[in-house]
Amino acid sequence: MLVMKRLAEGSKANSDDLNCLNTCTTCGICTENCPSGVDPPQSIEDARRILVSSGTMTDTQSSLSERANFSGNVLGDSSSRIGWLRDQRGLPHKADLVYFVGCLASYRYPDIAAKTFDILRRFGAALLPDEKCCGSPLLRTGFDARELIDSNLTQIKDMGAKTLITGCAGCYTTLKNSYPDEFEVLSVPEFLAEHISELNLKPLELTVTYHDPCHLGRRHKIYDGPRKVIEAICDLKEMKANRNQSRCCGGGGGVRSGYRDLSLGMARKRLLDVPAGVDYIVTSCPLCIRNLNDAGGDGKVIDLVDLVSEAIQAIGK
Amino acid sequence: MVVLEDLRQIVGDRVTASPTELYCYSSDASLVGGMPDYVVLPKSTTEVAQILCLASEFEVSVTARGAGTGLAGGAVPVKGGIVLDMSGMNRIIEIDDDNLLVVVEPGIVLDKLNEALEPHGFFFPPDPGSSAMCTIGGLISNNGSGMRCVKYGTCRNYVLDLEVVLADGHIINTGSKMLKSSAGYDLTRLMIGAEGTLGVITEIVLKIIPLPETRKLVIASFETAETAGKAVIKTFSSGIIPSACEILDRTTIQVLKRCDPDLLIPDDDVVLFEVDGTMSSVDESAQRIVDVCATLASSIRIASGKSEMDEIWAARRLVGAAVSRLDPAKSRVYVGEDAGVPLKQIPNLIKRVQEISDEFDVPAMKYGHIGDGNLHVALFIDVMDKSQWKRLMHAADKIHRAAIDLGGTVSCEHGIGRAKAQYMDDQCGPALDTMRAIKAALDPKDILNPGKLGL
Ligand SMILES: Cc1cc2nc3c(=O)[nH]c(=O)nc-3n(C[C@H](O)[C@H](O)[C@H](O)COP(=O)(O)OP(=O)(O)OC[C@H]3O[C@@H](n4cnc5c(N)ncnc54)[C@H](O)[C@@H]3O)c2cc1C
Ligand code: SF4
Repeated sequence: MLVMKRLAEGSKANSDDLNCLNTCTTCGICTENCPSGVDPPQSIEDARRILVSSGTMTDTQSSLSERANFSGNVLGDSSSRIGWLRDQRGLPHKADLVYFVGCLASYRYPDIAAKTFDILRRFGAALLPDEKCCGSPLLRTGFDARELIDSNLTQIKDMGAKTLITGCAGCYTTLKNSYPDEFEVLSVPEFLAEHISELNLKPLELTVTYHDPCHLGRRHKIYDGPRKVIEAICDLKEMKANRNQSRCCGGGGGVRSGYRDLSLGMARKRLLDVPAGVDYIVTSCPLCIRNLNDAGGDGKVIDLVDLVSEAIQAIGK
Repeated sequence: MVVLEDLRQIVGDRVTASPTELYCYSSDASLVGGMPDYVVLPKSTTEVAQILCLASEFEVSVTARGAGTGLAGGAVPVKGGIVLDMSGMNRIIEIDDDNLLVVVEPGIVLDKLNEALEPHGFFFPPDPGSSAMCTIGGLISNNGSGMRCVKYGTCRNYVLDLEVVLADGHIINTGSKMLKSSAGYDLTRLMIGAEGTLGVITEIVLKIIPLPETRKLVIASFETAETAGKAVIKTFSSGIIPSACEILDRTTIQVLKRCDPDLLIPDDDVVLFEVDGTMSSVDESAQRIVDVCATLASSIRIASGKSEMDEIWAARRLVGAAVSRLDPAKSRVYVGEDAGVPLKQIPNLIKRVQEISDEFDVPAMKYGHIGDGNLHVALFIDVMDKSQWKRLMHAADKIHRAAIDLGGTVSCEHGIGRAKAQYMDDQCGPALDTMRAIKAALDPKDILNPGKLGL
């Protein structure tokens, strides 16, 4: 906040200012605890936008923007976005329900994308024909994401979609806050919780904990849905800091790409909150999964959908 | 630049002169501002001593800083120089509950200390609203306190010994681990409340006391602040010293309810009485307060249990910073916020503050530690409107003058720093010259936190 005050008073931004503004994951725990009702992440994003619009940015920021605008995904991957879908025939062109996959699930967690779509398909969900990055990484780091948003929006309209479901917390915030209010946006955990009785879940002999992704929890108060789903399957042991007081995984706000050591340090701190005796750390955001696993989660951090599809498969066994 | 190189020799890369970082040390929670030339993060007494030797040689100012939550500009380097950020010296060196004491470094955050003491069944009582952020070193240097000081006293009652680095780099211990001592001048008490103008505190021995078995809260409302004041005096005379005794005026209650809409608190002026001790003594004391105040209060009840009590206290702790919840266009500015008067004068002070608030058309939320005469006034304005600033500053000045008129003080617990320095003459009279003489004896080059306390 002080750095922003300094800039507002007319100082020219130097690299320390940029590093300071860019090391905020915009997790919002400060907003949650501020008695005055100040919302620092909003101010940080505004400051980043003002700086970027005047051409002041770090190299990481400018290459992120080039990558996303050029390739349509934040990873700069030129391969097919639905490489994870084995049978790509007969995808509907019109549907009420659309699964918005997101860049990370599409390219880094094809398994999660496939499992999620497997479940959502039963409820009639389709995919956008040429889904692009939702725009979140650009918006969080101060850029305009108009092109990406417009491309997705045209497709959403063409499909006649009434509801978008996404398994990425960052996509959720963006679809909800930065797209016009013309369709409903649901997170995968909310959708699963709503349809829990139709999923025929079989209990599993497991104890897990749940990490609240900042953009689902604090940002949108989605706390109960994922817990309801977990508790329908196995035992849930809460993390030391949970719900609105959860610590950030360290991955958001462009911090993972710009400041890897810091980002992993935050993830390691978050892992200290994991209670003893749990088999998995469940969450509902691919970025959280990636950062926490990289910081020592060692594959124990899984998506809620991994757990659900295990519980669904258990029925068939 | 010579100084910067020399500082690097002492602390390695724990020194900065980056304009961005310096800016972050150019203010605290008050309106006072001042840019440092260097910020250093010492890790040991030896480093602090070396830094002070260097500063003394080059006659560079040194301002110690804890968490920078001070409300008087104490930690702001108004004359530039070095800021010593003490937050890195934050270890608990020893918890010695057999001897009722704990040894800590000054940078430890108050809540962290009490978290560590709790399993031993002990606590350090001074409890400022900033306990989650402020450091023990800063708290002691301001002689800070909080809601429970009506029963437990301020920092002064708990510090047994201080390791202090003097202006020339010499290291002294002001006391010992004894619970009492009559060996010479009480240098410990001299350093407490000195706001870093006489030395830098590097280690602290604190007396700790057993946690009470239980607490109870009585919530009473009154038609006027005057009746509330009477009820408090009547409570004391009945032989009860509450462990907290807080007044919250109607505006404060509104803000409190915005913070937590579920709170069951009346809309009048409210006094919260807390009692602590054993189960039976607490039941008896709470009931006695109810009986004693019954004829004066418009409503009175004992809180239903621990969770209701915790909720009310949590909201009360935040209320000072939460005034924007009432009107998002307005912010609280911390001026005129810490006046105090002898107990019996509290209703008078409240009345005077209301008149001042009306006269200058600056709204005021009034709350505070009525049990020890300390009234926190939260003046709030639209900070973008220049004319409101002018009225605000006039109102704050009048509040300070009213406190002095009524035989009170311009600062009960937040310290003088720079923000209230102009009142020191009126407040202290010739004693200020004695303070100046002490300062000159201990810090002849005036390098320790210069420009503070009206010295
Ligand atoms: C929201 C809020 C609520 C508050 N509520 C209360 C309250 O209820 N009661 C109360 O008493 N205060 C309160 N305060 C004021 C403030 O928190 C206290 O004065 C606190 O003790 C300051 O601690 P700090 O570590 O932030 O010190 P700083 O502000 O960093 O420094 C305070 C003074 O101590 C000196 N100092 C710091 N460390 C050392 C050291 N090691 N050696 C020598 N000098 C040193 C500094 O030079 C400065 O003069 C509140 C402040 C805020 C923002
Ligand atoms: S918590 Fe809110 S009021 Fe307090 S310092 Fe942070 S932003 Fe300011």
